[in-house]
Order: sequence, then C-alpha cells, then structure tokens
Amino acid sequence: MKKRRITPAQWTLFGLSLIVVLVLAAVLFRGERGEGVKSTVGMSPPESPPEPAPAREAKTVLLFFLSEDDSLLHPEQREILSGPSIVEEAEQAVEELIRGSDKGYVSPLPPETKLRQLFVTKDGVAFVDLSREIMEKHPSGSSAELATVYSIVNTLAYNFKPIKKVFILVEGSEKETLGGHINLSQPFVPLYSLNAK
Amino acid sequence: MIGLNETTAKRLAHFSLLFFSLLSFAAAQPTLRVSAQDYDDFSRVIVTLPSALSTTLEKDGNLLLVRINSTSPFRLRTEPVKSRFIKSFSWVTSSDLYIIVIEVRHERFRQDSFQIEKKRQLVIDFYELTAPPAAEAAGMEAQQVPPEPEKKEETPPAVEAALPPVEGSPAAAKGIRTIVIDPGHGGLEVGAKGKFGTLEKDVTLAISLRLKALIEKNLAFHVELTRDRDMDVTLENRAAIANNHRAELFISIHANSSYRRNANGSETFFLSLNATDEEARRLAYLENNSADLDKPLATENKDDIMMILWDMAQSAYLKQSQRLAEIIQDELNSLLGTKDRGIKQAPFKVLTGVACPAVLVEAAFISNPEEERDLVQEAFQENVAQAIYRGLVSYIKLLS
Repeated sequence: MKKRRITPAQWTLFGLSLIVVLVLAAVLFRGERGEGVKSTVGMSPPESPPEPAPAREAKTVLLFFLSEDDSLLHPEQREILSGPSIVEEAEQAVEELIRGSDKGYVSPLPPETKLRQLFVTKDGVAFVDLSREIMEKHPSGSSAELATVYSIVNTLAYNFKPIKKVFILVEGSEKETLGGHINLSQPFVPLYSLNAK
Repeated sequence: MIGLNETTAKRLAHFSLLFFSLLSFAAAQPTLRVSAQDYDDFSRVIVTLPSALSTTLEKDGNLLLVRINSTSPFRLRTEPVKSRFIKSFSWVTSSDLYIIVIEVRHERFRQDSFQIEKKRQLVIDFYELTAPPAAEAAGMEAQQVPPEPEKKEETPPAVEAALPPVEGSPAAAKGIRTIVIDPGHGGLEVGAKGKFGTLEKDVTLAISLRLKALIEKNLAFHVELTRDRDMDVTLENRAAIANNHRAELFISIHANSSYRRNANGSETFFLSLNATDEEARRLAYLENNSADLDKPLATENKDDIMMILWDMAQSAYLKQSQRLAEIIQDELNSLLGTKDRGIKQAPFKVLTGVACPAVLVEAAFISNPEEERDLVQEAFQENVAQAIYRGLVSYIKLLS
C-alpha cells in the first residue's frame, strides 16, 4: 500500500486557509452581532442591555377566593414578584388564584386550568386567556360561574389600578358563557359587593 | 432605524392631520341640538337638525329612539336635562346612522311628534299615561272603549292629531297575554350534574312543565316555553322567543351548582348591568364632550349599536325585574324550606336581551346531595312551581 504523504507546503496551505476561514468567520460574526445590537437599540430601549436583573422585589397582593359558607369572595394575602410591568404581576396573581387558597377557601378556577396569555390594552381592559379546563372542569352553576368570573375580575381590578375591566377568553377566543349562565361576551367591571366585608 | 423614523414621521403627519381636521370640524361642522322643556301637562323635546333630515321614532320600554339617517357628519349637543318626565339623552352613531336615545322616567307615556321649520326641527311631546297599560288591557274594557274615540273627536288640536300611529305598541298588549318560561339548558348542554347523576336540564324542564300547567289552569295567560322537550336552544334564541311573543314576563328556571357539596339554598337573580353600565357612562361622557369629537363612535359598526340598544331592552325593566325577583324569592322561602340566599344581580346572558320583566330562579343546589334528592322529587318540583306561580300572581296583582 502506498501511503500518501502530506508535504510541508500542503501543511502551510492548509494552515493558511484555516486562518482565512477563522478570520472571515470572526469578522462575519462580529458584524452580525454589531448589527444585532444596533437594531435593538433602534427598536426598543428597555430590551437593549440584558440588564443585570435588578433583583425583583416581593410585592403583596390580595387574592379573592370563594367561601362556600357565605358564597362571598374572601381576601387572602399572597407575595408575588414585582414588575417589570403589571402584566407579569397580573399573570402571577391569576396563576396564584389557580394554585388555590392556603386558608381553606375554594379556588373557583379548576386547578387544571392554565393561564395561556394575559395582556392589558391601553384603555385598561385586561384580556385573560385561559385553557379549556376552565370550562371542562367547571361545575357549571350560576353561583360557581359568578365566583369564577369575579374572583378573577375583582382580584385584577383591586390590585392593579390600570386595569379597569377584564375580558375572559378561553383557548384564545371569546365564549358566550362558561356553562350557560354568566355572559362572557362583554368585559367585566369589578363587583365588590361579592367580596366579604 | 430609517424605517422607524419614517413611521414616526407618518404618525406625526397623521396626528397633525387629525388635529387640524378636528379643529376645522369644530369650527365648521353642523350641529344637532337636543333640549327638553316642561309644560303644564306634557314635556317637550326639541331636536334641532343640521339640515332637513327625515327621522323615525321607535318606543322601547321607557326609551324613545330617534333614528336619523345622514351621510354628512355632524356634532351632537345636548343641554342638561331638567325635566320632571324626561330623564336623560344619550346617543349612538355609526357612519350614516345617528340614534338619539331619550330616556323617560317610566314607560307609561305616549308621544306626539311633528317636524317644523322645513323639517329642520323635530318636536316630540311626551304625555304621561296615568294607568299602566296592563290595567287598561285587564279591566273594564266595555266601559272604556266607547268614551275614548269620542274624546278624540271632540278635541282635535294639532297635538292629538298624530295619536293613532303612536298608540301602536300599547295596543299590542291587548292581544293574548303571554308569559314565557325558560327551562334552563337542554340537549347536549346538560347544565350542572349531581352526584347521583341528576342532570340540571331534566329538573328545569320538569319544573317548567308544572309551572306552565299551573298558570294555564288558573290565569288568563298563555304560556310559551323556550323548549318543551330535551333539545338545544341558544341563549339568544330564548330571549328572542320571549320578545317575538311579546311576553309580559320571562322566568328562567335553573338548578344551582358550586364547588363544594355544602353550598345550598334557593335564590332569584335579575340582570346586572355591570358591564354595560360602563358603556352607558362612556355614552354619557361622549355626549358631554361631543364638542371636541367629530365622530366619537366611528369605530363602532351598526351591529354594536344594535347590541347596545338590545342590552337596553332589559335595562328598561330592571326595577320591575327586581320587584318580581323579591316576590318570587319570598314565596320560595315560605314553600321550600331551603336556605334563603336572597335576590341577587348578575350579568346573565339569557336575561340580557329580554324586553320585559325577567328573572332567573335557582331552585336549589344539584351539587348538594340532599338538595339533589329534593330536586328529583315530584313534590319538591311541584312546590317550586307553586312558589313561582304564587309570586307571579302577586306580581300581576300589583300591576292592576
């Protein structure tokens, strides 16, 4: 068998081309990154530096859970992380509502429910998009539906001033009702008469 | 970045365009004015139109809707209402339709209208009717019929001339009087389920059929059911059935359900306008600030307008619905022996569009095993029907 020898000249050529490739890659990569940074700066300042996350502080909110004894919504304090905007805070509040009460009250949101999305419009309407379990696992009575709707609405409106109304969506779309009773095709204003005194 | 600058510039341009067009509108745009004034025996509303436009009037409960078709935009100005009979003005608009909503203190009125100043002024006179239409229809027809036409012939001033078309809607009440009963849920939509397998849709139908029998046996009312067997009916259609039959009362029958089995008792609901209150405030705000806005509700299409007015249908009957709820709840308390959960207001879809006093009865909790057992018993179902029936009787007596 004849072994192919690599001559020193070939070695040099290989080394050179390797260097060229590396340099080119570096330049291209730098260029790309540079452009990336430029465009972020141009678009939205808050996102530009990956900020050393100013350790989000704790914030206390009041969640409203149902008591079956008086059919009213009872407040329960819960710590969430503050900011960066009320959207993140409102998301945590809804997730905590789903997680349930520590004091033995009833969460009128079935535990299987997931918060798909939450956003707040400029005129203060919070859209709360919940997964299908909010309907499928729901006991579907007037009292249960009232509790579900207003535990969300009262919790969000009570804790977050910019939220004036709440529109509840299921799997991304508008539903007539959860189970045949309370009208979901309009945004809700809070109804504090359902809260315990 | 260049792109962003461009859009910023475009936005600026748009804003300035909007600003100047608003300014020019404020200076030059024609205006529609609405004002009210009281006279000895009537209240007069004057609508001054920006040009000769045709208008149509429609009475809806305690509301009078004035529809104006106009393709050219105009501003609306209303003076503060200080009248013993006219409560408020509000209005909604879309691209070529303006609706002025005149809210009257109660629905017992008749109006008389004419257009003057080459159709540039619409004058609407509101007369208070002393007797409620129900009483008119119910009693003493033999005595009342003859004097009325005579009176018309004796006093034919301009004011009385337009009477016949106006009286159209109260006259409709003289036909067969109808109560609509709505058995909750049905078909695939089973409603709440009990621990022993009881379905809400079956309980509601059973109670409704008993109530229908009681009413038709004892009262001079026709009963229309939104469903008389196990079938799907949409919530909107239930309201539509009531309105199409010109129902005088609407009773929706349900069985309640909650998360824990200990929840129990009976309650009666009537509609709350929590969501639509806000819309009403928005309309009021726009009305008061219309000087600064050319077409405040331009983004809304006609469907939205119809929705707002449709919602107003039940809002005109809230007081009566509340009274009906109180009376029925009292009877439930005395006949059923269940816990009194009182009357409550909630934004029920099925009540929203009903154009008459309307309540929703939650007989008992199907999610409570003891009450579930009650709900399937014929004796208990009969008691629920009996309680609602007695409530209806007292309410109807109140009217006459």
